[in-house]
Formats: sequence, structure tokens, C-alpha cells
Amino acid sequence: MKVSLNWLKKYVPVELDNAAYESRMIMTGTGVEGMEDLGAELQNVVVGKVLTCEDHPNSDHLHICTVDVGEQEPLQIVCGAPNVKAGLLVPVAKVGAVLPGDFHIKKGKLRGVESFGMLCSSTEMGVPVELYPSVGDAGLLIFNEDYPVGTDVREIFGFNDTVVDFEILANRPDCLCVWGVARETAAALNAPLSLPEITVKECGEGSIHDYATVTVENQELCTRYAARVVKNVRIAPSPMWLRQYLHAAGMRSINNIVDITNFIMLETGHPMHAFDLSKVKGRKIVVRNSRENETLTTLDGKEYALTGQELMICDEQNPTGLAGIMGGEESEITEETKEILFECAAFDRTSTRLTARRLGIRTESSGRFERGVSPATVMEALERACQMVNELDAGDVVPGVIDIYPNPVKPAKLSVPVDYINRRTGVTVPGEEMKRILEKLCFEVELKDNVLHVTAPAFRQDIEQMADISEEVLRYAGYEHIPSTGLKGETTQGGLNEKTSRHFKLQDMLSGMGAYECMNYSFISRKVINQMGFDAADARNNPVCIRNPLGEDTACMRTTLLCGVFKTVSTNQRGGNEEGRIYELGSIYDGFARTEENLPVEHDTLAIAVWGGKEDFYSLRGMVEAIMKQLGVKARIEKGVENYMHPGRRAQFVAENGTVICQLGQVHPDTAEKFDMNDKTYVCELSVEALFECAEKLGHVSPIYRTPAVSRDLAFVMDDSVQLGPVMDEMMKACGDKLEEIRLFDVFRGVQVGEGKKSAAFNLMLRGKDQTLTEEEINAAVKKAIKAAEKFGAILRS
Amino acid sequence: MGIREDLVRIGEEMRAQLNEATTSQQLDQIRVSVLGKKGALTALLRGMGQIPAEERPAMGQIINEKREELTALLDEKQQELKQKEKEIRLQKEALDITEPRDVPEIGAVHPNQLVLREVLDCFTGLGFDVVEGPEIELDHYNFELLNLPKNHPARDAQDTFYVDDNMVLRTHTSPVQARTMLSRKPPIRIVCPGRVFRADEIDATHSPVFHQIEGLVIDENVTMGDLKGTLDAFAKKLYGADITTRFRPSFFPFTEPSAEVDLTCFNCRGKGCRMCKGTGYIEVLGCGMVNPKVLEMCGIDSTKYSGFAFGIGLERITMLRYGIQDMRLMYEGDLRFLRQFR
Repeated sequence: MKVSLNWLKKYVPVELDNAAYESRMIMTGTGVEGMEDLGAELQNVVVGKVLTCEDHPNSDHLHICTVDVGEQEPLQIVCGAPNVKAGLLVPVAKVGAVLPGDFHIKKGKLRGVESFGMLCSSTEMGVPVELYPSVGDAGLLIFNEDYPVGTDVREIFGFNDTVVDFEILANRPDCLCVWGVARETAAALNAPLSLPEITVKECGEGSIHDYATVTVENQELCTRYAARVVKNVRIAPSPMWLRQYLHAAGMRSINNIVDITNFIMLETGHPMHAFDLSKVKGRKIVVRNSRENETLTTLDGKEYALTGQELMICDEQNPTGLAGIMGGEESEITEETKEILFECAAFDRTSTRLTARRLGIRTESSGRFERGVSPATVMEALERACQMVNELDAGDVVPGVIDIYPNPVKPAKLSVPVDYINRRTGVTVPGEEMKRILEKLCFEVELKDNVLHVTAPAFRQDIEQMADISEEVLRYAGYEHIPSTGLKGETTQGGLNEKTSRHFKLQDMLSGMGAYECMNYSFISRKVINQMGFDAADARNNPVCIRNPLGEDTACMRTTLLCGVFKTVSTNQRGGNEEGRIYELGSIYDGFARTEENLPVEHDTLAIAVWGGKEDFYSLRGMVEAIMKQLGVKARIEKGVENYMHPGRRAQFVAENGTVICQLGQVHPDTAEKFDMNDKTYVCELSVEALFECAEKLGHVSPIYRTPAVSRDLAFVMDDSVQLGPVMDEMMKACGDKLEEIRLFDVFRGVQVGEGKKSAAFNLMLRGKDQTLTEEEINAAVKKAIKAAEKFGAILRS
Repeated sequence: MGIREDLVRIGEEMRAQLNEATTSQQLDQIRVSVLGKKGALTALLRGMGQIPAEERPAMGQIINEKREELTALLDEKQQELKQKEKEIRLQKEALDITEPRDVPEIGAVHPNQLVLREVLDCFTGLGFDVVEGPEIELDHYNFELLNLPKNHPARDAQDTFYVDDNMVLRTHTSPVQARTMLSRKPPIRIVCPGRVFRADEIDATHSPVFHQIEGLVIDENVTMGDLKGTLDAFAKKLYGADITTRFRPSFFPFTEPSAEVDLTCFNCRGKGCRMCKGTGYIEVLGCGMVNPKVLEMCGIDSTKYSGFAFGIGLERITMLRYGIQDMRLMYEGDLRFLRQFR
């Protein structure tokens, strides 16, 4: 919220420099986002009087002027403006002046005549028409008031000001105004606060009730409605000081009445509205809900269809405005307005917010009602507005007020032990000091037996409980005084949870295997799911969907990590990373399965992708096998089923209990194309939960047998289609516990072994557990192994 | 010629041969020619039959002594040759130790996770338990129990993704705190890391998906000073002993009093630099004393217990830590980026 420092200083002295003021405010909870010196871009421009003005001999439009700027000698300035003439007071940019846009004024020569400066238009000085009336670009700005020559124009335009952009916390809507910031400033600087005394001069005859009536039908959404009538309205431009304040706050000056409503909003935080009473049918204001099929045309000329839920300001017949959001076109203030009704009200936060959101209108007023406007201070603001009418002589205030306030807000009363506050904050502050701080913040305080009996000021709707008082005290006792103390009490045993420690384990293993962890968003799109080509019945086709997604690409929750991983692979391949190993660990969200709380089941999942270099199906499988081996997971490999994989190069690992732990394989060329990947990419998706469920906990270690091991090599020729895994399993089974390990050490295909055949050579490691194996035992075992292989049509090579 | 002379001759001849020998094969030949079945010394033994019986023992002894002597000589020479051969082999085997070869690559965890590990290491050391919860969460836990009732304006500020009226993508990991308060009894000391979601458009500093680490302590007589002490310990552990915290007043619906916490800028160590915009401090986290209303809603007696909570943005501290300028890099997975985090 932007506040003019000049305006603020009317109510509280600020003697610190800007930087010190900023840091003091920040440390007491009123953030400062920035400070802007309004005059920074306009230097050395002063009021000058044109003494003489003659035509330039070498030009049909230039004039040669002499201008008195309050110096010993008048300046000669060549000026091209059509409206320049002798006797005018105009802004003069002297040599060395700076204009907005970092435009520096130097001595110059125009068509042979020397010029010592420039006479300025409003545009050249960055002065909007509503701040100072002028012809804009068409000519010089001409001062109508009798300013002394040599006066710095920044004083005239109110540019000798700093605008502070305050960042007000969500619980402090009362600070969204000059008075609010002034109160905080007074407390922060321990400076006197002098808010204006409000008195209204009424015009003597009649009563407001002769002019208008107000009915509030929905008192839940309109907790207070106050009104005043002004007659004999004299619409005019606002005085300079008011225009300056509005300009500094980033608002445009319109006319005295509209400016008063804006001024009140900025000063007190209460949005106001002014109706042209003659245009209010029946001179009746009704605050009620809209009716279905009603429409409203707002001040900005837009028509809205209403639903019956909006709180409306209506006349006898029709809605004229959206309560707290925007007024209607019909009763707008115009040059001809003679009688007005000022509205100052409190509307419900939620209702205002929902209506503003539904209709897509956001105004300064709706923003304030959404954050909370206290009904308690409504009358104060309305009276201040009428005081302004008196001051600006903008009309005659009709005697009497309308104030519909059936349930006055009671100020919060709390009894807070001094000790409670000190125990909570850890800072020891004496009760007397607490009392002083709270009183500075406009609380009423009685300190008795070390208990503070506190009444919060009416504008502080955020004060509800003792903890709130502790914060008020701490803010001004100083957050910088909070001590640094260690945790006391019973010691606790800290540690990782299971999921985190699982992740750490997997990450360490994968790092060791040269893989890098990547992360993708948890989102997926239906389009991308379709590209995966899951079977129609696959649950992964039905993700959990977000009702208000950022876009189509991020509309659903991922049912597989692979879409993201494919994207990452593609990014890498296109980025020139010719080989690589990446993985992602994260949740996928089940579209069907629900927890006891009816939340989607989240599956902890690992996906790995490898590509390029020496990577192939077996290198990826090796990574998965290494992880399973490390965790003591026993699983068999089976043919895979995923459509996004190469039909002849896909597999799944199935645990002994039948749980599928992972799917792995080479990506299908079609999938590769859809995701813009090289098809020599190998991927796997693994259920971390299944993996660790099948993990064998390290219990008792097995003994190490000291008997010598015997190594035998066997080579077979067999059909190329024979799977070696089952052959080896069968050999292992046949030999019983004498065969410790069987290892494939060579596979060969070629003319020597015949078309469609392969040779496979195995190394058998045999060992007796209690006794050294005898030659007969070894031979018997080897024979069994050969027999087992022969079942698969394998023939022993001699 | 007598046997004695023969022995001397055999010995001298063999010595001469040994001097000439340079390979194991030559040595073997010498051994065979002297000590072998058909060797010179063996021949002498065979000839013993012709010697008078009374001389035989003495003669036998002399020959055997000679045999031992020569065997020792041979063995010695053999050792010598072996040594030489080994030296030659080793010389030949010398490698070009500068020749480039494949280096096995060790991967790395995501930069987030590097920092997460440090953070968890710090808090578990202080007796905090790591607790996690669902990422798709009930409105009840994500908002209501945290003093953000339906239609509370702060909910708008959280830019929530909704699944339905009662289900949201959690906007913070605070619902894990609520769940823990409901299920455990004080003393509670937990940290809750995890993925959170906000409807923010993607740019260099915003992402709809990011990570938080929140902490919660509930016990008797917990003060804001304990909060500061804990965060001081965290700051020093992660960024060095000279780092301090600065608390500033702030507002969160679930804490009262609340604070924004700045750390000494770890780039300039507080002197003021571009990273901290000359202030010497960097805004790092939000925290406060748990709002008594939250305690009560979560079934904890607020007259007996108090507590504090804090929330750290993992991406933010990771970016600050490694000088990452663009958050999008962390969700792109380019190996040229990931390879830098060892």
C-alpha cells in the first residue's frame, strides 16, 4: 500500500531518515517494499514569469522570450509553444535541469539565437492533467496561481514527497490506511500521534430522513450501513493539496466529491460511495441480495448477470451497485449533481470475495472489504467525509445521520498474565512496560496483580486470544531481543522414517552405479497418458484430476513416472548428452485405489532410464539385479507385458510371493518416436514398496565353508531360442547343495556351431559343506548338471 | 687320473658354464649335464664299483659333498637368474600411466536431496523424528486444522489446486504436523519434508511443485527463544559458525507470534552483496509459536503445552546454496546440470 510521507507526517512526526525509518518499521512488523522520491526525475525546474515574447526572425513558430526566474538577470529562452506570451507564469527548466526520462537541459542555440533553458509542458514534467490542469502536449503549462518566481515546481505539484510502499500483513487490514500506518509509526518511533478531531457543521434545516431512506434486508452480509446527505453540492476540482495526495497514492483526481470518498478510503481505510440522490429512484437505498435474472451495469459500463447470491445496493426498483465492489452507472456523480448521499458501510468479507471472484471484478474497495473493514469505525470515516465537505465547501451537510448497526461489535477484552507473555516469547518484559506498549497501540490496559486486563481498540479485529497480546508486546519489546535457548525437557530419539531411509539407500546404490537423480512435476496430461499406449482396462489411464489446473499439460496427477522420465531423456538426448543413466524417485497416484480416508493411494516408485554408449537391456537389468541382490530380494524374471516396450526386449521381475516388483525393457520404437527419444533407450519402473517388502532383513549370517572349492567348465550347443536362465536354474536344482554357484562365461553363435544354434559355456563351482568332495561325488554332480541341460536339447561339447 | 682330480675338473667346468649362463634353460642344461642321470657327477658315482671296497665310503662322502656344493651353486645361480628375469619382465610391463581410459562414473543425488540430507542430519541430531504424509490431502488437514477455515482469504494466497471440495494437493507439509499432533502425545519433535503444490506459473523463481521441510516442537514451556536456539543451530550447521538468524514480525494463521527469519548472507557473510541486495541478510524461512487454536483443534491442551513450528523452502535454500539462478533447471534433469552435484 502506497502512502505519501507528507500525508503521514501530518499525523505523526517522522524524524528518522528514510532508511532508518524503513528498518524500524520492518522490525515492528510493517514491511516496506520500496520508497519512491517523487521529485527524483524533476530537478531545477522553477516558476518563471515571461517578461517579453517576440517572434523569432528565422522561424515561423519559435519565440524569443525573456523570463524572470528570480535571479539577477532574466533568462533568454527560445520557445516553440503556441500559447506562450508575455505576462504568463510558466515552469522553466534552467540549464542543468533534469526532466523525466533522464532528459538534461543544456545551453543551446536555436536558429542562431541562444537559449538558456526550456519552458515546459505538463507532459515534459510528468504532471498528469488531473494533478494540474493544462493543455497537455499542445502547449506550456500555465500557472493560474500567483506563485513567486523562482519557486521549485516540485513544491507546487507535491513532488517534494516520498511515497512509501508498505507491505501490510494479512491480519492487519486496519493498517491499510494512512491513520493505521500513523498509529504503527507512532508506536514504533515512540512519537506523538495526532489524528484530526472530527466535527461536522450541519446546514441547520431539515433532516436526512426528509431526503432519503435506507433499508438493510440482509444484515448478516451488511453489518453496518451509515449514510449522510449533502445538498447544494458544488462540484469543482479539488484543491491542490488533495490532488497531490491522491496522485502520490496512485489515484486520479476526478472532482471534489469523488476525491473526498477516495481520500477517506486512503486515510481511514473505509471504502465510501457517493450517490447522486436525484437519480436514486424513490430516494430509497435497499441493501439486499440480487434476484435471479437481474442485471447490473456498473460504473465502467459493463453489464453483469446476477445469480441471487450477490449483495446489492438497490434503489426502489433496481440494483444500482454491487455492495462494496462497484457502484452503478445510473447514480454516478456528474457535473450536474446537486444532492448526494454518502455511503459508508461494512460488508461481509467472504461474500464480497466470492462475488468479486465470480464476476471477475477486483477493485480497491472489494480488496479492502475482502481483507476486513471494521464496522466499529464506520461512523468516524463518514463524519470525516462530511468534515471534508465543510472544509472544501463542496456542499451543505444535511442534519442527521442514518446508521443501521443492529449488532455493534464489542471490543475484545482479555485478561493476560504478564508471566504468560514472557513464557511464550522467552523475552522478559516487566508488566509496566507491556502496559506502555499496549497503550501506545491504542489498547486500554489495567495492570493488576501482574495480570493485564486489556480492551482492544475497535479497529483491531485481529485480537482474539492471549497469544495475540503476546505478539503485540513482542513486536515492540523487540524481536531482536529473543534469546537463543536450547530445547529443554525430556530428550527424544530422532531418526529417519522408513520411506526416507529407503530413498537414501536407493539413491546411494544408484549413485554408485553412475546414475543421476532427476525430478519432474507430479503432473501428467491425458494426451501423454495416451501416448503410453496402455491397455484400455489399465488403471493408469484414469488419473486423479485437478479441478483448477494451470493448463492441460499439468491437469492430472501422474500414474507413472515414465512420462516425466521420457521427457528428461529426450531433453538430454536433444541437448547432446549421448549417453547417460538417470532415475527418479517419487510418488505416483492411483486413480482408483483409495485409503481409509478416501484419499488416492500414493505409490512410492522408482524409474530408471539408460541410453547410449555401452548401455543395453542387460546393463539396465544388471542395475535392477544389483539393487535386488543388495537388498536380498529374490525374484524371477519373466517376459514383460508393457506396450510401450519392445515386444522382444521387455521383462518383469516377480517376487516369490507373486508381487511384480518391476517392469523393464527397451522402449518401443513407436514410444520413442512419440516422446522424441532415441529408441536405444532402456527403462524400468519399480515399486519401491514391493521391493522393500520382499527385501530380506539382515538376520543371521551364513557360515563360510573352509573345504576347497572345485571348478568345472561345461560347454553346450543348443538351439538359439533356448533361454539360458531356466537351463541354469535346472542345473542348479539338479546338483543340489553341492553346486555353490553356476556362472555363464561365454556365449557364441557362428558357423562352427551351426545355423540357429548357440554355444554356451558355464563355470560350475562345487563344494562340500562338511567334507572335501571326492572325485566320484564331483563327477556325479557334473553328470547331473549335464543331464539337466540335456533336457533343453543341449549337447555337451567335447 | 683320480676321482679327486675329476671332481675338481667337473666343479671348475661347471663354474665356468654357470658364469656364461643367462637363462633358466641354460641352467637346466647345466644341471642335467652335471647332476642328471647321465651327468658327469652321476657317472663318477657309478664308477665307484671299480674302487677298492675300503676306499668307497670315503670316496662316496667326497663325491656327495661335491654334489651338495654344486647343487648349492646351481640354486644360487638360479635365484639370481630368476631375479633378473623378473626385473626384465617388470620393466617390460611398465604402463603409460598417463594413457586415458574409461573412468567408472559415480552418479549423484538431486541437489535438493543433497541439501535435504544435511537438513535432516541436523534435525535428527537434535532429536527430531522425520515424518511424512500424503501429497494429496484432505482440506481438513491442509487448512481447517491449521486455522484456515473455508473461505478464509489466506487460502487464496495459497493458490490451491483442488481435486474436489474436500481434497487438495497439499500447499505445505503442515498437514503432516496436524496429523502427528492428533496421533502422538507430547513431547513432539518432528520434521516433515515433502513435495508441495501451489498454482504458480512456472518461471525462474516459481514452480507449481516444490519441496518444504517443516518442523514442529510441542512440549511444556516451549518459548520463542527455544525456536531461535533451534534455528540458530540449524543455520550454523548448514552454513557455518559465523551465521546468525534475524527474526522479524510476520503473520501466519497457524502461528502466533509469527516471524520471518533472515540468515546472515552466506555469500558475503553479512557484509552486503548483490545476492542479499546489500542488506547482509537473506530471507530464508517462516516460523512462530503454534497458535493455541491449532493446538486445541489438534487435541493438545494449550494451557499445558506450547510449541513452535517452522517451514523451510528446500528449493530456495538449495538455490541459495549453489547459486542456482533458475529454478527450472532443477526440474529439467539435464545431465550437464546434475553432474555438477557430487
